[in-house]
Amino acid sequence: MAWDPNSAAIPMKKPVVIVFTLLIAIGLAAFIFGLTGKHPERAWQAYLINFLLWSGVAQGGLLFSTVMHTTKARWSRPLSGLSESFGAFFPISFGLFLILFLGKNHLFPWLHHDLHGKEVWLNLPFLFSRDVLGLLILYGIGFAYLYHALALKLKPAKKGAASPGRFRQWFAIRPSDAEPFQKRMTVFAILYIMAFAVVLSLIGYDLVMSMDPHWYSTLFGAYHFVKAFYIGLGALIILASISYMRQGNRSGLKPAHFHDLGKLFFAFCLVWADFFYCQFVVIWYGNIPEETGYVIERTMIAPWNVLAWTVFIVSFVIPFFILLNKNIKTKPVAMMVISGLVIIGIWLEHLLLLGPALNKAAHALPLGFSDLLITLGFMGLMAFAVTFFINLFPELGRPDPDPSDTRNP
Amino acid sequence: MADRLSYSQIDQTVLDTLEPPGRTYWVVLAALFGGVLIGAACWVYQIFVGIGVAGQNIPVAWGTYLINFVFWVGIAHSGTLISAILHLFRAGWRNPIARAAETMTVFAVCIAGLFPFIHLGRVWVVYYMLPYPNQRNLWPNFQSPLVFDVVAISTYLMVSSLFWYTGMLPDLATIRDRAVGVRKKIFTVLSLGWTGDFEQWRHYGRAYLFFAALATPLVISVHSVVSWDFALGVVPGWHTTIFAPYFVAGAIHSGLAMVITLMIPLRKIFHYERIITLDVLENVAKTIIFTGLIVGFAYSTEFFIAAYSHNIVEQETFRWRAVGEYGFGFWIMMVCNALVPLLFFIKKIRRTIGWLFCISIFVNIGMWFERFVIIIGSVAHGFMPHAWGLYAPTLIEFGIMLGSFCLFFFLYLLFVKHMPSVSMTEIKEAATGKDAHGH
Amino acid sequence: MHMGTKHHIMGLFTDEARAAETIAALKASTFNLLRVHGPIPGHKVTDALNLKKSRVGYFTLIGGILGFFTGFALAVFTADQWILIVSGKPIRAFVPFFIVGFEFTILFSVFGNVVGMLTQTRLPRFKLPETYDPRCSGSHFGILAACPAGEQEKLIDFFKQKGAEIRIFD
Repeated sequence: MAWDPNSAAIPMKKPVVIVFTLLIAIGLAAFIFGLTGKHPERAWQAYLINFLLWSGVAQGGLLFSTVMHTTKARWSRPLSGLSESFGAFFPISFGLFLILFLGKNHLFPWLHHDLHGKEVWLNLPFLFSRDVLGLLILYGIGFAYLYHALALKLKPAKKGAASPGRFRQWFAIRPSDAEPFQKRMTVFAILYIMAFAVVLSLIGYDLVMSMDPHWYSTLFGAYHFVKAFYIGLGALIILASISYMRQGNRSGLKPAHFHDLGKLFFAFCLVWADFFYCQFVVIWYGNIPEETGYVIERTMIAPWNVLAWTVFIVSFVIPFFILLNKNIKTKPVAMMVISGLVIIGIWLEHLLLLGPALNKAAHALPLGFSDLLITLGFMGLMAFAVTFFINLFPELGRPDPDPSDTRNP
Repeated sequence: MADRLSYSQIDQTVLDTLEPPGRTYWVVLAALFGGVLIGAACWVYQIFVGIGVAGQNIPVAWGTYLINFVFWVGIAHSGTLISAILHLFRAGWRNPIARAAETMTVFAVCIAGLFPFIHLGRVWVVYYMLPYPNQRNLWPNFQSPLVFDVVAISTYLMVSSLFWYTGMLPDLATIRDRAVGVRKKIFTVLSLGWTGDFEQWRHYGRAYLFFAALATPLVISVHSVVSWDFALGVVPGWHTTIFAPYFVAGAIHSGLAMVITLMIPLRKIFHYERIITLDVLENVAKTIIFTGLIVGFAYSTEFFIAAYSHNIVEQETFRWRAVGEYGFGFWIMMVCNALVPLLFFIKKIRRTIGWLFCISIFVNIGMWFERFVIIIGSVAHGFMPHAWGLYAPTLIEFGIMLGSFCLFFFLYLLFVKHMPSVSMTEIKEAATGKDAHGH
Repeated sequence: MHMGTKHHIMGLFTDEARAAETIAALKASTFNLLRVHGPIPGHKVTDALNLKKSRVGYFTLIGGILGFFTGFALAVFTADQWILIVSGKPIRAFVPFFIVGFEFTILFSVFGNVVGMLTQTRLPRFKLPETYDPRCSGSHFGILAACPAGEQEKLIDFFKQKGAEIRIFD
């Protein structure tokens, strides 16, 4: 399996940098324009949706590498580097979260309401600090895992070659360190998976479910992290497709990898839909007014029911029927389109969950051109982070080292 | 994984297990059969005297019969996980234990399927549950989760049995070709004329792949349906959205523990140590850590949401679970299911037979008590304080429970002595470094 | 199986790689490659034989589609007979009926799968072919070839050169 250590999957050439910077600038401009306009809450709504979506993509993207490493999967090794590059978004996500609180008066419907005792949990200082702590832990463990993964991928400098810069030397390890690094990498992988479940559940409860403070669903946290893995896989497929289309065999990828990745993507399409149905059937059947209001508003009443059906069709029905076919899964272009479609669908799903809580008694969907522009800005941020990281460490294109191969740490 | 045994060695190891058994076998078999008879006698007594000989009453209308039903269906699930889901993931370590696990599934579903019959007051009209044409135009209500159960459990029984049998075909041919006399005739019929022709293998491989791909969503749906027997009601402690994935994870947790409980004596007695290696058992133990963490996470989530909801009924339900009259069950459940499996993080523990066996027993006990806590603990302490009440199983229920456990081990013991308890075909495939059945 | 003047010889190999080479060589030769038996569906032999893709999947798919509509039809039919509103739910409630449809889809897919497998492999057959060697279900790959009368020795030599054990059927 050939790989070229000198060329990254997406080179950081000038046109690329310009495009990404432009996207970010457009997004920022649209956001600020919205903030200074008549409805700043719409701008904050778009910000929140995008924050959740793109952070989920990054968190879920890295999860692929940690899960494959923990289960000692072999088929996924060429993909693990691409998966790890999503970790580059973590510091940006953290910064975005801090900025989120500037919009607190426009975001949290329960501020200044009488929550009949729930204030002990739903109050801004506590919510802010626990989520900051959660993200710090999750991202910290993620970085620890990344450090070990990179250290094992980076080759120590050859004799006579130019000595690597100070930054890279930080990653250089002796061959004798390889085994303890492997062990620690596994520990951090397991910790990341556990933190992923707990922290994303917490974020799901705090930033999505509690927007309607009197409704609750025990499965909501798990639903949130399953969604994140679903879109993380989709983003990984897009990144892998780009890498394969640009580099062909030099990326280390083959159609078989896309087939396997496509199967996993299909599986999580089903898991996501299943977790939705599990909540839906229990609430529908019990018919308890405390619980049904939330669901009825989103799935049976205009204008949200149209959005609900759109999300269902775009993120479940279409991928389900298309991905049943084996051949489609081996075609990177097709997979890229389907994954993109799914991510758009999940963006709309975030609007579906948050919209009715943030826009009481809406007559039309609070969806407009400015939302698209802000989304482009966030997309630019993600693209920039991932591309930057891949260019910093071209070895990410190199397959994960075989733990049983002691010659090549 | 399976260290390089030759094909003939693999065949011989398994064929040796089919030799006529010694006295110990017959003694144990007879004892188990005695247990089955006790259970049957208790059931017959219950049919004649009435369901009141069991302990259920108002408010606890569902007792050990439902606990055992859910317990056995749960055990069945990890057999399908191992044979179907791990096949899709191409995890080679499943090969040595897949046959034994599938067998466990089929027998566990059979036992589980008995309990809906047992818990009925009028067993003789159990056919009312089926949709058959009748004069009064009476039909089952397909909106009811209890009827979903009928459909789901019957489907699961049929699919598991077909999957199990199909998986055995090449092995049955191997035995047929080396048997003599009556046994040869029996296996000629059972093996359906399989000759290992590669024309047959190509169809077989596709069919097996589809079996695995279909059994996987089936497993998830069946235990979700079982969980919805409880979650679709409005009882506090039952009506919660997390039940379906939580039950599925719990089912796999208990089933994996039962796999270890069965495999350890099996490999010792049948000299399978070179096939069912310590590596295989270690991988099962690692998976138990995973399912244990999920179960622990589900417990914590339920408590968190109960506190978050500020719903006094939910909060009282969960407070009482921990400190009420059935608190002992709650703590057994917590410790055995969520804490004890964490010991498997220690490599030495998950590679020591004694520890593996003990921890597996603890998890089995813990998972039985989880169903106790959920089923009995919720209805005993529901919405109306004046309707709170307790429940204790009667001797008849214990008798039936004993019968069910004995029946499971009885059937299992019969199977391992007459049929191949390890899949020779899959071990051979693993020995060549390839994956099973056509991947 | 007895074809008048033809001779049937089986070459038995314990090494799958050699069996695969022999198959390729047989295909290139003037002898008739009839069947290959093996204890496992080895990849090398499967690739060497280059058989057509199995059609079992179509049976499974048809079963599944039938099952999906049967499940729903059964639930809708039974609900329509009684037309009794229970717990305020609609008579034809697709939320719970989906579960019935789903289970029947899986059940009928599996039936289709079994029917497909049995019809395509032409099992069960309780009389084994005469040209079968029981070693093929143990540790040997058996390649059955036919040759016209008089070339028996050539075929036996051909197999012996590849390192096979020989079984002469006729």
